[in-house]
Amino acid sequence: MFLTLIRRELLDNLMTFRFAAAVVIMLLLVVANTVVLIKDYELRLADYNTAVKTHRQELREINKTYSDGMLGVWGAMILDRPPNPLSIFNTGLDKRLGNKIKVSHTFVPTIWDANKYEADNAYFNILTSIDIVLIFQGILSLLALTFAYDAIAGEYEHGTLRLVLSNSIGRGYVLVAKYIGAMVCLLVPLLMSLLLALILLTTSTTVSLDTDDFLRIGGIVFTSFIYLSLFYLIGMFISAITRRTSTALILSLFVWAFLVLVYPNMILTAVDTVPRTDTKTAAYNQIKQVWEELERKREQFLRNDPIPGESWSLGLDFSLSFDDNPSRLVYHTDIAGALETIDEKSEPLVPHAQNLFRFLGPLTVSTAERVWLIRKPAFEEIYVQPANRGRILLKFSPAGLYDAATEAWAGTDFNGTRDFFIAAQRYRQAIVNYFHDEKIFASRQWFAADQGAVDWDILPQFSFQRSDIGINAKRALPDLFLLLTMNVLLFIAIFLVFIKSEV
Amino acid sequence: MIWHITKRELYDHLNSLRFAFTIVLLLVLMIVNAIGYLGEYKSRSTAYQKKVSASLDKMRSNADNLYDLLIAGPGTLYKKPSVLSFCTNTGEIFIPESADGVSDRSVMLPTRFSFKAIWRMEYPQSNPNLWNIMPDYTNVDWSDIVSVVLSLIAILFTFDAISSEQERGTLRLILSNSVSRGTVLLSKFLAALITISIPFLMAALINLFLLYTSGSISFGLSEWGRLGVIVLIAFVYVSIFLALGLLISSCVSNSSISLTILLLIWVIWVVLLPSTLGATTSGLQPTMTSDEFNARWQSLYQNLDAQYIRRRHDDKIPSREIPATEGTLFWAKYITEDAKRNEKLNEEHLDAQIAQIQLARSITRISPASSVQYAIESLAGTGFTRHVQFLAHVRRYADEFMAFLIETDRADRESPHAIGPKEGTSQKPVRFESIPKFEDHISFAGAYNAAATDIILLFLFFLVLFAGAFLSLLRVDV
Repeated sequence: MFLTLIRRELLDNLMTFRFAAAVVIMLLLVVANTVVLIKDYELRLADYNTAVKTHRQELREINKTYSDGMLGVWGAMILDRPPNPLSIFNTGLDKRLGNKIKVSHTFVPTIWDANKYEADNAYFNILTSIDIVLIFQGILSLLALTFAYDAIAGEYEHGTLRLVLSNSIGRGYVLVAKYIGAMVCLLVPLLMSLLLALILLTTSTTVSLDTDDFLRIGGIVFTSFIYLSLFYLIGMFISAITRRTSTALILSLFVWAFLVLVYPNMILTAVDTVPRTDTKTAAYNQIKQVWEELERKREQFLRNDPIPGESWSLGLDFSLSFDDNPSRLVYHTDIAGALETIDEKSEPLVPHAQNLFRFLGPLTVSTAERVWLIRKPAFEEIYVQPANRGRILLKFSPAGLYDAATEAWAGTDFNGTRDFFIAAQRYRQAIVNYFHDEKIFASRQWFAADQGAVDWDILPQFSFQRSDIGINAKRALPDLFLLLTMNVLLFIAIFLVFIKSEV
Repeated sequence: MIWHITKRELYDHLNSLRFAFTIVLLLVLMIVNAIGYLGEYKSRSTAYQKKVSASLDKMRSNADNLYDLLIAGPGTLYKKPSVLSFCTNTGEIFIPESADGVSDRSVMLPTRFSFKAIWRMEYPQSNPNLWNIMPDYTNVDWSDIVSVVLSLIAILFTFDAISSEQERGTLRLILSNSVSRGTVLLSKFLAALITISIPFLMAALINLFLLYTSGSISFGLSEWGRLGVIVLIAFVYVSIFLALGLLISSCVSNSSISLTILLLIWVIWVVLLPSTLGATTSGLQPTMTSDEFNARWQSLYQNLDAQYIRRRHDDKIPSREIPATEGTLFWAKYITEDAKRNEKLNEEHLDAQIAQIQLARSITRISPASSVQYAIESLAGTGFTRHVQFLAHVRRYADEFMAFLIETDRADRESPHAIGPKEGTSQKPVRFESIPKFEDHISFAGAYNAAATDIILLFLFFLVLFAGAFLSLLRVDV
């Protein structure tokens, strides 16, 4: 009997015009947008490759000394963030945040310090494109509601519910049969469109996906399924309580508009995004003090130096680099030298310069570490926490939960994007350790290239791998679990309403 | 008779659940919009004032030496925020809010002479949202409410206009009176239009009331005029979807099929085409890639170097002698040439980029949703249209500023009048008040014209669809 019911529901849904329309809409939307998104990804990847190439070339051609590579304005050591191929599914922050970060021993890099490399046409982004998750979030949820609004109300109206229940079958079974029948029908457009998207992805030569990526896509599909089921259950719930199809349809559309359109916008305007200026200025002043302490120590060192004069340039052609940006708590200074030749007159100064940098290098590194201890909590408080508050509030809507979970699977969420910058911090540490081990700070090549330019290839090389699937899953699971719980709760609610109602 | 039917339809609509639903939805959306923009304009314009005065302060400090002004330029130039930004804000997060030039850039040459490049515009491409990690939800603005929500509501009010009467047999009843089919269609259309306009106008007025009473925005006559045109555009746009609904409803005898077909068309027209067409057609007019740009930039320097540097003009050294020596003139020419060529390349690049976007945008006008978006954009003074205007102002100002410096230098008798190298330029202080300041203003001279084109386009869509609905109603057997 149960199977008969499921079969009936399936046939009922499959033979309808709305099923055909759902399939056509989803296929059209997903395929057209996937083509656009793949093209967009290819462009970004090409930009990334160019950027890596130019930054590599500039580092080797322009920076002949270590200090120049660490502090120089032109062609300093720059790491590029690669675009995430899964941004095709959920763009998240991938396109928006900076993708170019400088590595220097004078400061610890964060997202805050990232910049953007030039793309071909930056105005391109205003031609809106919607990613696959957004299509599911908006359109698929609407489709689920159009499948659900008459599930119970329609049968009341036709009187067929009495007929079904006159058989010896529990009401729970009827509900489950309806649920299974409709979900199978909704899965068809979902899976077909995803399949076509995957075919497009795999035929593209530039998008390379590995096993982990397919598992992540699997995670996205599973989350989409749960989200779809939630909206179907919402529709069913409305259908069960209203008992009239026309009322149920209008109410469903209203609920949809509230959950998907109104709530996310309303709640984000409520989040307090006003920057905490007092924390900011306090932290900035502290950072400035730490650096001024270094400057004092440097002056003291120079005073004790046998070379006359207290100038940091020591009579050699050094330059003082200086970075000061109170709004992002940046402050640091350092001395760099890029001497191509050293004439006989300046030669006696070289040991003094080496002495200075032997003293200054480790001191700069430890100052940077101390500044990081001040900057990190300020960074969290001013920058990260307001955004996180916004995210938590968004999670009261299933649309927000779904977005967060799929972002986490794709690795385009805040944490996923931050992984790159954590890797950059680690790389900076590796470079600093290398400088310590090889006594680079005290070397002649730190400031002079007269005895040969620096070979940048010997240094530790940077490589970045996106976090593995386990971490993605860990980040996505809480949201996924919440979605599942909502599903279960709604199902119980429908069951209770349905069991109490008279037919 | 026409009013009679219209009145009947109107009563039907006003008593329906979907009308109540429309009121609530539109009210909530408009109030959310108002709350979102309540303090927005105020904070944006104070930030704008602050930044502009910071720029001016910098300029004032540079004004005690003409040469410093020549090198540092007028500082960053900011775009003035628009009062009507709550009407549409789409794409704004990707558009820079300022333009900057090359200032204080030293250039090392392999000769005995090295110099600082003189100021010129460089049109940075950074987007202002680079460090924004807030979750990605756009503020609901008027153009979203009109283009997405109102069109959907228009469909909901008309999908069963004719098909349900056919199903119930009431169509035969009406037509048995001496009423032409055209009259029936027109009255149904009018009734639906009036029904939708009630909640829309109500919500819009509450929205404006909230914005107005909070004191965050002060509307002038021009703002009211533009808001009026925006509302007019919204009506024409809604009419398109009403006509579409009537057309499909009279073609199909089953209401639920009619609704599904309409939703399908709506998704393609309003959601799919604006989002994908622009990005796919932008390939029709490609700009130079960043690689090509860099290559051209390099060849520009190679050309310059071949003319000036290769021969190592070590004998040519600028000096402060009057009249200008050969050396001074030589390097002045080099520096101005460098600035001119750079500026030309940058402007060419910018023009190509703007042309690419303009083309893509005009193609997306196939969808009325895009037409509405662009028309509201030009009337509200936001978005890409406004940015192009801003860039034109910046360009004009840059010329004016340089012309002023050259003029002032010419008036100084102690200067050799060879703009470029420090030695060749006047070192006299410049009266700060006399320097031209960049005053960005939003001009709506072209806005009404641009909006008129879009309105005509929308009206044509409407005419075609309404004529279609009329013809298909004529063919209906009752």
